[in-house]
Amino acid sequence: MRLRRLKNVNSTARYVLPFILGIIVLTQSACVSVSLERSEVESYLLRQQPEQALTTLESHKPEDRNKSIYLLDKAMLLRMQGRFEDSNSAFEEAKTLTQTLDAISLREQAAAVSINDSQRSYLPRIFEQVLVHCFQAINYLQLQQYGEARVEILQLNELLKQEDDIEIPFARYLSGLVFESNRELDNALISYRKAYQAYGSNNSAIPLMLKEDLLRLTDYLGLNDEHKDFLAEFALKAWPNQQEVNQQAHAIAIVFNGLMPRKHSLEIAVQSLTDDQLHRISTPFYEHRAVTIHRAELSAESSSASSELIAELDNHARAALENEMPAIIARTIARVSIKNAVVDKTHDNSPLLSLALNIATFLTEQADIRAWNTLPQQILIMRLNLPAGSHDLKLSLSGSNLPGTIQSWQGVDINKGESRLFSYHWPDSYVTQQSN
Amino acid sequence: MTNRWSSSLTLIAVLSGGIILNGCSTSVKRLDAGEVTDLSGEWNDTDSRLVSEEMIRDVLDRPWIDRFIEDKGNRPAVIVGEVRNLSHEHINVSAFINDIERELINSGGVDFVASKTERGEIRTERKDQELNASSNTAKQMGQELGADFMLKGSINTILDSEGDEQVRFYQVDLNLISLRDNRKVWAGQKKIKKLVDKSAFRL
Repeated sequence: MRLRRLKNVNSTARYVLPFILGIIVLTQSACVSVSLERSEVESYLLRQQPEQALTTLESHKPEDRNKSIYLLDKAMLLRMQGRFEDSNSAFEEAKTLTQTLDAISLREQAAAVSINDSQRSYLPRIFEQVLVHCFQAINYLQLQQYGEARVEILQLNELLKQEDDIEIPFARYLSGLVFESNRELDNALISYRKAYQAYGSNNSAIPLMLKEDLLRLTDYLGLNDEHKDFLAEFALKAWPNQQEVNQQAHAIAIVFNGLMPRKHSLEIAVQSLTDDQLHRISTPFYEHRAVTIHRAELSAESSSASSELIAELDNHARAALENEMPAIIARTIARVSIKNAVVDKTHDNSPLLSLALNIATFLTEQADIRAWNTLPQQILIMRLNLPAGSHDLKLSLSGSNLPGTIQSWQGVDINKGESRLFSYHWPDSYVTQQSN
Repeated sequence: MTNRWSSSLTLIAVLSGGIILNGCSTSVKRLDAGEVTDLSGEWNDTDSRLVSEEMIRDVLDRPWIDRFIEDKGNRPAVIVGEVRNLSHEHINVSAFINDIERELINSGGVDFVASKTERGEIRTERKDQELNASSNTAKQMGQELGADFMLKGSINTILDSEGDEQVRFYQVDLNLISLRDNRKVWAGQKKIKKLVDKSAFRL
């Protein structure tokens, strides 16, 4: 009887052990491959080579669960090359996929509580979904398709209405710029007001451009009390009035500065006092990065405008992870309990199998460190008011080891009252702290 | 003991269940172009066709057309102007305009003037004919039919969402404006309401 049971155990172990090994190999190799690809893409970006970064990205076929990040990265790398239409196609694909992934997959949830969180399809976080609309709107603005940019802003506002605990001031300010491009000054003012409130609730400084826009539109739309309040608060001596704005041409430049810090995992290994089992608890955290440029300047002929910081996207990423952490910890605890039960159950029958399972559960416990890594860390903005007509625009960046003029746009025609938007990516940045 | 083993294997199955990959393949099924297929709930070819058919039927049934014929003695010439997309969706407005143009032309109730882009192309061709075509086949400049009315409008949406349900309300407004004196001779409106229920679960 005892011999027969031993035989059963051995035959089961013969089938189960390769299976366990398979799980380890699959999860470990997938993780290493994704991490290597990320590093390669990042190194090309730091060298200002988005074409090579895109080639690298496209040379690795993404797993289904990583498809959304692949599309977001692809869209970003395309826009870095000025391929705005292609970029928007990739963003649209990512949006459609996000809508599908919004529904719960029981299979993936089971995998998340039994293996690790990375087994789930990556659902872009809300702040990332907001930024998809922002980047699409910026792409459309650069293509001078103002009506299409407006569609993105309406979708963005709808998303923010549903997720009322998320507030990204830059998204609100951009909404105002898009409404102004469509000559909808009342809607623009509503967006600027929301941007003002959002900067306040985030304890961030209100950009000068926003202050000027609020003063200009409250004055023009005859909202005298609100105008007086803003005037008292901002203490600005001068701001352009709407009549002046209607007569001038406007060049707005946005610099996407640095790269979004990457996520890493914090590992804690513990040995159970009761059954000697090894457990690993793994949680994600963001590294800290520093940007290499601190100021940009847009100039044309004898006029110039200095940049101001309008968004720190890494702060939104950290806040999103912080909000997510209770759910991550709950799933980690559930996973440890399940894995513990599996190892315990097998121990009496086959100590060898139990040990193999313990090693498997230990190794497969990994934090989900996936994120949209090609996002910039900061956004700088500047606006140059010019006479209507053709202009040669120059963008200069201030920082260490940088050439003077970094980008120029020759013979740009801007009509009276029109705002033309230009953007530039400078991903160069460095890690300052890689521990939590 | 067998029970213990089976429960162990069940738990192992739970562990492994997460990495089962679903195979997928592409399948294609041909559909009739007139068939109603609502997939995402967004504005689609059916909406475009239904709205254009219904609104053009309405515009042709109204008294402005008889008044014009009575007054001028000929059918009115119409041109389609801008139809602004003010909705939450990237609607292919050109496809909608094409639907309107087709309905107007095929109705036979009005004469139809080519759009600004088409006119430019035809003028270039006419200029080319002046130089290169024989005098008895070359078409003269300055013989174009001037439009009497311009059809302009907008597509708007109102969304209302709660949980997995969303009501999408589309409102299409079209106006027919006299080019002579800016009078609006017809205002049409078509509303479409859709309830989109998103699935809370997927595979």
